[in-house]
Amino acid sequence: MSEEATRKRQEFEREALVHLDTLYNVAVRLCGNASDAEDLVQETVTKAYRAWDTYERGTNCRAWLVAILRNTFINQYRRESKRPSPVEYESVEETSVFESVQDRDPEGSFFRYIVDDEVKRAIQELPEEFRIPVVLSDVEGMSYAEISEALELPVGTVKSRLFRGRRRLQQRLYEYALEMGYIR
Amino acid sequence: MTAFWKLGKWKCEAGGTPPGDIDCASVVAQLYEYIDEELDEETVKKIRVHLELCKRCYPHYDFEKAFLRFLSEHGRISTPPELKRRIFQRILEEESQG
Ligand SMILES: [Zn+2]
Repeated sequence: MSEEATRKRQEFEREALVHLDTLYNVAVRLCGNASDAEDLVQETVTKAYRAWDTYERGTNCRAWLVAILRNTFINQYRRESKRPSPVEYESVEETSVFESVQDRDPEGSFFRYIVDDEVKRAIQELPEEFRIPVVLSDVEGMSYAEISEALELPVGTVKSRLFRGRRRLQQRLYEYALEMGYIR
Repeated sequence: MTAFWKLGKWKCEAGGTPPGDIDCASVVAQLYEYIDEELDEETVKKIRVHLELCKRCYPHYDFEKAFLRFLSEHGRISTPPELKRRIFQRILEEESQG
């Protein structure tokens, strides 16, 4: 093994593999199941390693990796896993839940009763165009500019998808909390 | 002026300058960007002043902040350790193949 190859691997581990958790989180949200997500992450990392020389040093590595992941998904996985979205497209409420709860629970303390599994299910039920920006922003803490780079979308589009995705998710969690009696 | 908004209704009343020189609808529309720190300095200042004085928008801001905090704390799926191990192994193999 050459020293150069070792240096490349070490650099890749340091710069790219620190983002493994992000890749896995996005992969699960794209694929909808753990086993496809694992394959997708493996494939993404292998591709990224082979393309490592083309990665422009000093640019955003996380966004670069997510872009590879997403393109790999589009090319290979989507065809097989394509399912209609369970959410009716036009009829979804996108007003803030605050309007409904401001008199009863303005601090949104009902959120605290909602279990993680339900949060994950609600995220998964969002249409993909909203789901991925929401995950990148609210779970991964990425900025609008980073998300724009990773998803190859204008910042304005990222902004509006985040807005609508968050509102839908909030509505969904609120309905669940109502059903469960966490809020009256 | 201040007193009016502090004691005021939950709704913006027509007439009069709203606090921060920005109305409630614009503040609500930009709350996420405000929380995400994605707005320019001038707008941030206006919204900050508005939130300090508006009885309607401040609790809304608090609510959205709580919602986003909740998501960041409960939305994560952890990577299986076995997958991590396999990936580091794969990269080692890639290295040895040149
Ligand atoms: Zn207001």
